Amino acid sequence: MHTGNADFLNFVLTLFKAMQKDNLGYVYRGRFTQEITDNILSLTENKLEKEEHSSKIKKRVYSILVECLQNITRHQDDAKNDLPDSNGLFVIQKQEDKYFITTGNMVMNDNIDYIKNLIETINSLEKEELKSYYKMVLEDGSLSAKGGAGLGLIDMARKSGNKLLYQFRPVKDDSSFFYLHTIPSLEGLEGNFENKEESLNNIISIHNTLNAENILLVSNGPFNQESLMVLLGSLEGQMTGTISHKKKVFYIVVEMLQNIVKHGYAPESKMLGIPGIFILGSHKGFYTITTGNYVDKSKSDELKEKLEKVNSLTQDELDNYFNKCLFDFEIDSSKKAGLGIIDLRIKSGNPISYTFSDVSDECTFFSLQTVITTE
Amino acid sequence: MLDALIIESKEDTPKVVLDSVNKVFQISERSLPENAIGFYEPVLIWLNQYALDPLDITVFNFSLEYFNTASAKQIAKILLILENIAKKQNVAINWYYKKEDSDMLSSGTRFSKLIDLNFSFIES
Repeated sequence: MHTGNADFLNFVLTLFKAMQKDNLGYVYRGRFTQEITDNILSLTENKLEKEEHSSKIKKRVYSILVECLQNITRHQDDAKNDLPDSNGLFVIQKQEDKYFITTGNMVMNDNIDYIKNLIETINSLEKEELKSYYKMVLEDGSLSAKGGAGLGLIDMARKSGNKLLYQFRPVKDDSSFFYLHTIPSLEGLEGNFENKEESLNNIISIHNTLNAENILLVSNGPFNQESLMVLLGSLEGQMTGTISHKKKVFYIVVEMLQNIVKHGYAPESKMLGIPGIFILGSHKGFYTITTGNYVDKSKSDELKEKLEKVNSLTQDELDNYFNKCLFDFEIDSSKKAGLGIIDLRIKSGNPISYTFSDVSDECTFFSLQTVITTE
Repeated sequence: MLDALIIESKEDTPKVVLDSVNKVFQISERSLPENAIGFYEPVLIWLNQYALDPLDITVFNFSLEYFNTASAKQIAKILLILENIAKKQNVAINWYYKKEDSDMLSSGTRFSKLIDLNFSFIES
């Protein structure tokens, strides 16, 4: 277990920077059950509802999303094994007013040529040609034994109005990880594909971090109460375990996210919320919940002191400290860290790990992690 | 008599009913506002008014599914006002919790130990 070892938390800032670089919003890595698929859909719907005004784009992003998710569900068992890569991948990002969806799943190497040829064919066709190609594939059911694998890709290309970008990363002798990057915008992107290639490479490197750290979900800020509620809604469906265990996770996530909203530092305007990152890791026997955000450097010592204190207390001492803070109404008028941190320590039953990494003269990047043992 | 204070619930704020005419005092559902002080301000104002001339018996129901630590402090404030009322009149607290929600039960138990009020814990 990572508890007490803060060094490993350095990946949080690296991950945050990588997510910020290409404005990645949300990454999910894991098995795609019906419930999770529904959650991702409603999460995106919510995001679109807030960010996007054109109902045409909304519809288009949504329908491509459905197609992408179905594609993962359909193929997630094509190359079954216990490797981290056997989990599916979903990424949504928004750059320059355009949405990008990247999905990924393992495929057997025997199928690579078929997929490559299909995508290359699709990419070479014009809009009208694509339509008749779709019809042709639809009528000739022999193309894919899986029923509609090819159709899905053609449909994605049709709906996105853009070429499909892909990559295969070798995993084992007989299998690879297949990344598919689509751009559901209205107009085609002229040229600029080199840039996209780089963006996909960034996603692949993020995916490697996720694999290495057993990360299930990453949500990049900005955080405010509204985005917090959306994220909570999606988590409720994704957690497994007993109700009381789920609730524990819920308590901890709320406190950690509200910590960011209340105490996080926004180097620029706070209009959209506080920049930060939320990471859920799933390990054998325990979950890790990690947040990262900037804090005002002048407040970091106090925060550190508080964390050290909370970590050093016994269960009984923690209880007393909690009670003391509960009735200390001075604290809540100021912006000092109060009950939340004590509650994290009590509810998780484990010490809290943290790191500070200086990023500028006035702010430092603060990573916080709680470990929740699964029953 | 004091006008009833009724606040409908939202995704992150509870339903509040403070109605001395119908003798209903209840906070239910979820409480996780970012600004708990702001949300509970009218509740505390109402209760402080009510404390000036309370009913003979006040039964206050906490039927919360979930609350954050910021709300916990405001609940503590509510309980302190009720503790004051209990010096003159009868006050009873019904603390509802779901069977599988041990955290909600222990939050209630915590309050009952810290505040001199009559708590009943009711599994719902």
